[in-house]
Parts: sequence; structure tokens; C-alpha cells
Amino acid sequence: MMLAAFANPVFDSQSNFRELLQAMARPAVPRTLPVLPPAPAPAAPAAMAIVLTLCDATTSVWLQQPEDEVVRHLRFHAGLKLADRPQDADFALITNPASMPPLDAFACGDMRYPDRSASLIIQLAAINPVAAGGAGNTFAGPGIRDTETVAIDGLPADFWQQRAALAALLPLGIDLFFVAGQQVLALPRTTRLLEG
Amino acid sequence: MTYNFAFLDEDTKRMLRRALLKAVAIPGYQVPFGSREMPLPYGWGTGGIQVTAALLGPDDVLKVIDQGADDTTNAVNIRRFFHRVAGVATTEHTAEATLIQTRHRIPETSLREDQILVFQVPEPEPLRTLEPREAETRTLHALADYGLMHVKLYEDIAQYGHIATSYDYPVLVDGRFLTSPSPIPKFDNPKLDRSPALMLFGAGREKRLYAIPPYTSVESLAFDDHPFEIQRWEQQCELCGSGESYLDEVVVDDRGTRMFVCSDTDFCSGHRMEAQA
Repeated sequence: MMLAAFANPVFDSQSNFRELLQAMARPAVPRTLPVLPPAPAPAAPAAMAIVLTLCDATTSVWLQQPEDEVVRHLRFHAGLKLADRPQDADFALITNPASMPPLDAFACGDMRYPDRSASLIIQLAAINPVAAGGAGNTFAGPGIRDTETVAIDGLPADFWQQRAALAALLPLGIDLFFVAGQQVLALPRTTRLLEG
Repeated sequence: MTYNFAFLDEDTKRMLRRALLKAVAIPGYQVPFGSREMPLPYGWGTGGIQVTAALLGPDDVLKVIDQGADDTTNAVNIRRFFHRVAGVATTEHTAEATLIQTRHRIPETSLREDQILVFQVPEPEPLRTLEPREAETRTLHALADYGLMHVKLYEDIAQYGHIATSYDYPVLVDGRFLTSPSPIPKFDNPKLDRSPALMLFGAGREKRLYAIPPYTSVESLAFDDHPFEIQRWEQQCELCGSGESYLDEVVVDDRGTRMFVCSDTDFCSGHRMEAQA
């Protein structure tokens, strides 16, 4: 049996969007998505909330693990196009980050239209706040007053090197949403990881 | 007849929301979007209205200002429009608002992190008066080639002895994109720099939107020997006595008598209440 989507599509997507907008405007700070819809495995409810809030028949989505049930669910509820190749995707749903494709496999935009670039939704086990002096990733950039530190684990070993390499292409780039449980944390292309 | 919540259909809102997220991710860059026909003409704030409609939720408290004033035609109409199509609470007090739509001013009262400012923009392209071709201005932005604008400001100095641009004064956002602050007076430009509040810009006729995220460097272009300066007045507001706010010069009779008053009506009345207390 197919799972439901948002109970109140208009208000649920509006309240989720406002958190996504604040997440993108205040990078590296986890925010709580107010309404999570049911989601078939391996998609997490928070990732499904982002897809249903932002995607429709005009967007193409690449699924790292295109299980039949997820495909049916997304086609029915969002009517979206599924991309066969990562480079064709407006959005990508990364359900197993340890084996995700390299970041440069995704579209990073055109010099005249840097907005024609992919947004990645990456499912993590947890997003952990870091106590003062604890080990984590420290970020700076637009939207961050001084610096923000947070622990983002479970990514490929060379993920941050790949991302740093893309920074040379600014304003081209890829924007990231990390989700865990009910939390979302965004890293737009302009956010820099500071060396430990 | 009933409308969808906040007038726009959900497909349009999703399109706007995707564009807004890219706009925030690329500070100062103009994202194209499919601007819809709205129940008021282009030039009356259709860009700002579409951005506001994509943001608005039932718990928001909306303030709308036109040249700083809550009680002018454009502001009253837009506020009433959203009250009717979204049923949201409205306010004239800057501190009470969660969402502020503005035409040509930034409120004098400092904004907070939990507020969003939406600007109505007539011409989003700062280079448009210097280069009419969109394909060419896109290329200039791609190459960050802003020499044209520096020459324009230099010609001001050569001709008038100072930079004569007093509104829509060009800014560089995050050191990368030359951006129009919309026609706010240059008096307001310093409020753009490292603002705690997110600022979104919508141009309906030109079908572009852009953003300045919070805590982002916004530099008004200038030269070492001609630094950026804001307007100053010898007068003070004749209603509240403020010497710090942006003043409008108002003709009050048919003999040319003038008075200077705050352009921000909420700030002015707040200042008068304080003085009375």
C-alpha cells in the first residue's frame, strides 16, 4: 500500500520551506523541520519533506538508491522526473552517503547562470552539536556571524577535499542539505570549511 | 470566490521557493523566475508580492511600507491584499513584524534575526543603464567585470566633484556580485552590510529575484580618495525631533513652505510617544 504525503500540502510545505530558507541563510546551524511526511525506505522522512516541499513535474531528481517503492511514491505524490545520471539532476537524494558519487558528478551551473546547479539532500545518521573545544567541522562564510562548529560524520573520506576543490569554481557550485531525524542543516557553495 | 492561500498556486510557490534558495546560496546573483500576472500592474511591487506570497504562513505578522510609510496607497493596498488572500495579521510596528515588504526604504529600527525583509525592485540589473543587452550584462557578471560602474562613478566625480548617485547606489555583495540595493537612498546602504535579518529582492516585470543573506559583507562602491558617504541634513524631523533618521522634504502649502519629517512613519510616531512619556 502506498504511503501518504503531507496531510496539509499547502501549510506543511510552507512551514518546511521557511525552515529550509533559514537553514540556507544561516549555514551550518541545524534547524528543525516542523512537519515530516511518511517515507518509504531508504528515503528518510526529513529528506522526503524537502523533496515534497520543493520538487514537482518541472524538476528532475536523481535517486542514489532508486528502489521501486520510492520511485512510485515520488512519481505519484510529486509527479517529478527522475534523472538517470547525476549530472542531469536539479536535486539528488543521497541515501547512503558513504558510497555517494563524487561531488563533481553533479551540475554546478553555468558561468552566466550559476543557479542551474544541483542541490543535494544527504541523509546522515545524526547531526551532532559540538561543545566548546570539541572536535567538529568549523565553517565560515555569508550567513555566519563569526564561525559555526558542528559534527558532520558518515561522509566519504575525501568529501571535504572534493568540496574545497569546487570552491575554486565559485560562483559555480553545489548546495547541500544534510538531514538527520527531524533536523536539516544547509551548506551553500559559499560556506567555507576552516582548517582544524 | 476563494483563492489558494496567499493567492499563488502551489506550483508557482514551489518555483519561487526553489529560486529563493538558489538566490540565498549565491548572494547578490539575479535568479530568473517565471513572474506571474498579479492583480496589480507591473511597477507596483509585483516582484515583492510574489516573494512575500511564497514565504507567507498563517502565523506571520506582515508589515508593508512604501518610502518608509505604512499609510501610503501602495503599502495600504498590498497589506490589505495579503490580509484578504491569506488572512494574516498585519502591523505597522517594525518590531512586531515577522515579514516586512518594502518599497525604497529600510526601516530605521534595527531588524532582528527572526525577521525577513522583502524589497520591491523595479530594475534588478545595476549595469542596465550602462549596458542595455541582457546577454552582455550576464557576461560582465560572469567575469566580475565591473569597470563600467567604476567609470560611471568616476565621471560623477569629474563632472560634479563628488559621487552624485544618491539612491540605488551600487553595492558589491560578498565581494563578488555587483548588486542593485533597489532604489533605497544611499542613507540605507550601511544597513545592508552584515544585517542580522535575511533580505530578499523581487523584480516582477524583469522576472528576477536575488538575496543578501544575513551577516554578509555588502560594500558600497567608492574610491580611496572619495569614500562612500551617506546623506546628512542640517534640519531635524519637525514632528519628532530626530536628528538620525532619513528625512523627507514636504511642501505644506501653496506658497512653497516646506517641512522636514521622518520618512519612516513608525519610527517617527514611536519617537514622539517616547518624548511624551
